[in-house]
Amino acid sequence: MSSHTDSSQTVDLAEGVNHQVAMVMDLNKCIGCQTCTIACKTNWTDSGGREYMYWNNVETKPGAGYPRDWEELGGGWDDEGEERTPGELPEQEDYGAPWDFNHEQIMYEGSDEPLRPMDDAADWAPNWDEDEGAGEYPNSYYFYLPRICNHCTHPSCVEACPRSALYKREEDGIVLVDQDRCRGYRYCVEGCPYKKVYYNAMKKKSEKCIFCYPRIEGEGPEGEVRGPACAEDCPPQLRMVGYLDDEQGPIHKLVNEYEVAVRLHPEFRTEPNVYYIPPFAPPKHTQDGESTDEERIPREYLEELFGPKVNDALDTINRERQRVRNGGESELMELLNSDRSEKYRLEVFDEA
Amino acid sequence: MKRNELLLAVALAAVVAGGTVLLPPVVGAQTEPGVPVEFVETSDGFDSPTGGGWDDVQTSTLPLSSAGADVPSANDVTVEELQVASVRTDERIYVRTSWADPTRDTSDSTVREFDDNVAIQLPSDSDEQPPIAMGSSDNPVNVWYWSGSGNSEELLAGGPGSTTPFEESQLRTEQEYADGRWFVVFSRPLDPDSSFALLPGSDDSSRTTIPRDDADLDVAVAVWNGSNMEVAGQKSASQWHRLAVSSGPPAYERFLWVIAGVAIVLTTIVTIEGVRRTRGDE
Ligand code: SF4
Ligand code: SF4
Repeated sequence: MSSHTDSSQTVDLAEGVNHQVAMVMDLNKCIGCQTCTIACKTNWTDSGGREYMYWNNVETKPGAGYPRDWEELGGGWDDEGEERTPGELPEQEDYGAPWDFNHEQIMYEGSDEPLRPMDDAADWAPNWDEDEGAGEYPNSYYFYLPRICNHCTHPSCVEACPRSALYKREEDGIVLVDQDRCRGYRYCVEGCPYKKVYYNAMKKKSEKCIFCYPRIEGEGPEGEVRGPACAEDCPPQLRMVGYLDDEQGPIHKLVNEYEVAVRLHPEFRTEPNVYYIPPFAPPKHTQDGESTDEERIPREYLEELFGPKVNDALDTINRERQRVRNGGESELMELLNSDRSEKYRLEVFDEA
Repeated sequence: MKRNELLLAVALAAVVAGGTVLLPPVVGAQTEPGVPVEFVETSDGFDSPTGGGWDDVQTSTLPLSSAGADVPSANDVTVEELQVASVRTDERIYVRTSWADPTRDTSDSTVREFDDNVAIQLPSDSDEQPPIAMGSSDNPVNVWYWSGSGNSEELLAGGPGSTTPFEESQLRTEQEYADGRWFVVFSRPLDPDSSFALLPGSDDSSRTTIPRDDADLDVAVAVWNGSNMEVAGQKSASQWHRLAVSSGPPAYERFLWVIAGVAIVLTTIVTIEGVRRTRGDE
């Protein structure tokens, strides 16, 4: 890793990378509509061995996620961030396998039942546990967690490949699989602790989120520079997209100055470049519906997901929110409630 | 010499001459260590792994062990030996590999499925012995690679992780699985077709030419057991062995043997006849 050298840059970027794309997602705004998932799917993964893939998925937390129990499958780095931690390949069923329908009965056996999945068609699928969450009435809780590849600064998927088929782009740190070099060994699939590399059995190659690089290069609709489709299509516009080392941009402020945008599972030590504004929920209620002082989403659970930094992040947001409630001004609150025109800063490093 | 005796002498000479031409000179090849590559007139019986031709060909057993590559679980391998037999015609080389594997893995169509594979490694330059682990950038290897899901590839490698397919494979493979064993026959023209386009960065000389005259070149093999999720550097591999390519009998050599055979027979007959006549004159 190297500190960026020009001017007073203090942002750590990966070795050999000039700038680093980054995304901040505000979990307080996600309504679980899956528009992002569909935007990604229709752009990149709707056929050809990619049917089961969701480069962008949105899972309910607490919950098993996609692929099921991905957090238990290993990968990433040890505590020193030097040795890779062994990972496992998920079972195909953990991604969700195609369901069997009663085609046979309707087409060949004369059944006049409506078309429907067979009784034993599936016992798991993406979002099978949607909205279940945890906790007891009246204090149950859950929130949605949208996930893409984190285009990590210290990507274990890249390190895992014995053929150097995965690499970080020099210009913006996007992590890609060179399809000519990949031979489908799947070390990257087991090596990514977020399970954001997928095996395409038709192509016998691994594939992953490309941060919609053609769009950010200006190959998007109308030949304009556009943010990734998952971000641009999000109805509540909860994703900010830009560069981590753009010190004037909102991402740098949220991540490095206010430190309110935190990494998912920082203990995997891949140093993700997707950051999350942690979720707030109303306080716990008594059986009679009275609010208490107790937080509904247990801090321990949020720490499990986002590491200890989540505490300061939540405290800072609380403090700033209180300041605005008391009639004060808060740059942070403005950043978190900016409108669409300020959410995408993708042309700051373009040659003049 | 009476007329019928003369006929006998000619017939004997003809048998000697014919025998010299038709019998393959297998004696030389069998005494070579390593993997002998016998010369055969025709590929009949060698195209398929169960072809009758293989019954008469010497089989060598090559011990295998983990290749010790820098990948997770590199030492978790299951196949301990591989049998190799090989012949060549004027045009092609045929190599039959066979190994015990109780699980027949022919699919890699879901994320945790891996197929069985076998590969033959040869030096790009048949006079060289490259580093055993996929050669090196200045001493590359060719790899003939078969996978249980039905593919075969002719690959070039210059060190671990550098394997690249030749654009057009000239390799043919046939496989058979029986009684817990795989049998895979590889065949390729002795001389690579130089009209095939090669990948950028490589040149025509990077494709192994199988020598035609009595010569050795190095050969190594590797096997992957799909159900044990063996892939890439997690493989059972051999050391280098010698592929002892037999020359077919060159034309002048056969001609000399014919002359010598005929001469011996005629000399013998003439001598016997002379002795008889001498006795008869007494
Ligand atoms: S999230 Fe996984 S696939 Fe994406 S860069 Fe990080 S380690 Fe690689
Ligand atoms: S489109 Fe936006 S709100 Fe809808 S699921 Fe995705 S991130 Fe959440």
